[in-house]
Amino acid sequence: MPMKGRFPIRRTLQYLSQGDIIFKSSVKVMTVNYNTAGELSEGARKFVFFNIPQIQYKNPWVQIMLFRNMTPSPFLRFYLDSGEQVLVDVEDKTNKEITEHIKKILGKSKETLEKEEKERKKLSHPGTFGPKKYHLRECMCEIEGQVPCPAIVPLPKEMRGKYKTAMKNEA
Amino acid sequence: PAPSPAPSSALAAPLRPGPAPRPGFPQCPRPRPHYISHNAQHPSHAAIGRCRGASLPPRGAGGCAMLRALRRCCPRAAAGPGPGFGPGPGLWLVPSRGRKSREDPPAKSKASRLKLPPPVDPLELFVVTERYRQHRLVLSALRSEFRAEVKRKKQEALAGGEDAAEHVEEHRLLMAWNDAENARQRARREERLRKEEEERKRQKLEAEESKARLMEAFVKEKEKEVLQLQEEAKTFITPENLDARIEECLDNPRNYNFAIDKEGRIVKRTVLP
Repeated sequence: MPMKGRFPIRRTLQYLSQGDIIFKSSVKVMTVNYNTAGELSEGARKFVFFNIPQIQYKNPWVQIMLFRNMTPSPFLRFYLDSGEQVLVDVEDKTNKEITEHIKKILGKSKETLEKEEKERKKLSHPGTFGPKKYHLRECMCEIEGQVPCPAIVPLPKEMRGKYKTAMKNEA
Repeated sequence: PAPSPAPSSALAAPLRPGPAPRPGFPQCPRPRPHYISHNAQHPSHAAIGRCRGASLPPRGAGGCAMLRALRRCCPRAAAGPGPGFGPGPGLWLVPSRGRKSREDPPAKSKASRLKLPPPVDPLELFVVTERYRQHRLVLSALRSEFRAEVKRKKQEALAGGEDAAEHVEEHRLLMAWNDAENARQRARREERLRKEEEERKRQKLEAEESKARLMEAFVKEKEKEVLQLQEEAKTFITPENLDARIEECLDNPRNYNFAIDKEGRIVKRTVLP
């Protein structure tokens, strides 16, 4: 069964995770006013169609609202938690330009993202092993250089209990 | 030995110096309330469980068995309830489950049963309580330390990190840049609108011009036709010059006869009679 919709690639996880706009924590609401017809709104329309799913995927706690055919020219408006409203005029811009613009003014910078990534990594140690939910490896047998899982590769005779006890009994 | 009125008060009440220390039991040091343990009660300690309605005593919840035992060290009416006396201070005969349900009374053979707690070595108890005290002291210190750290981290995060001022400054700059960008966009838009306006005007003018031209051409055409007609009107045959024209025609007979050969040469040789 093929995928549904006009550009079903927009629904794939790979496409969504390629979105690179992660808003600062102060951005709460994003509003897009655009028109469904007209050459000047073309960039905004493409932005809504292609880029907003990526943005919402990366920012699940930001509310995004779309308003169609309410104003003559398209624009974006961001509402921050301090009450400030940021207006971005997107008339006559391509969707790539729009994404660059909002990434610059309201997106988390690369340094911030890296810092957060490091903080997250600090919480868990990659060397521990346990349940798959919290660790990389579940059993000692998965670690390189350790004895392989006896379920896959049988242990040598000398390490097995039955052999050892047999030897002991023999002796 | 005066029996206490209720089991809870017996536990909560401070140790009463009994009449005389029982032989074989050295005088135990009074346990001091050094901590308030918020641990859950061990379900098997029925004596505690019996104080359901009453508020649980602040102490004695942690090392219940040992502290209770210690309290029992000091002589009280802890000789236990007499046979058939019913539940004594701090003790309540627990009906055990299994075959019987909770409303069934205990068996007659158990009427004189006196359950005594396990004997306590006071020296060991002292040592152990001391160790527990230190252990709990350390643990609670650690816990409060961690709590303070977490709280500090949260507050720090709320304040926006150590470079909060820097962030604000950065934000201001970005907003200024955004405003500049918007201004540029506005300029571009106005330019575009102006151009469109001009274009429209030009178009309108051109349309008018072409229309005027068309009108002119039309008028000229009509004029030409009129003139031509006027010219032709000179050669019209009117009732006035009818006779004259007839005379003229009769006087000048015109010969329309001609011959043509295959090469296309026209020959006009016929003669009118």
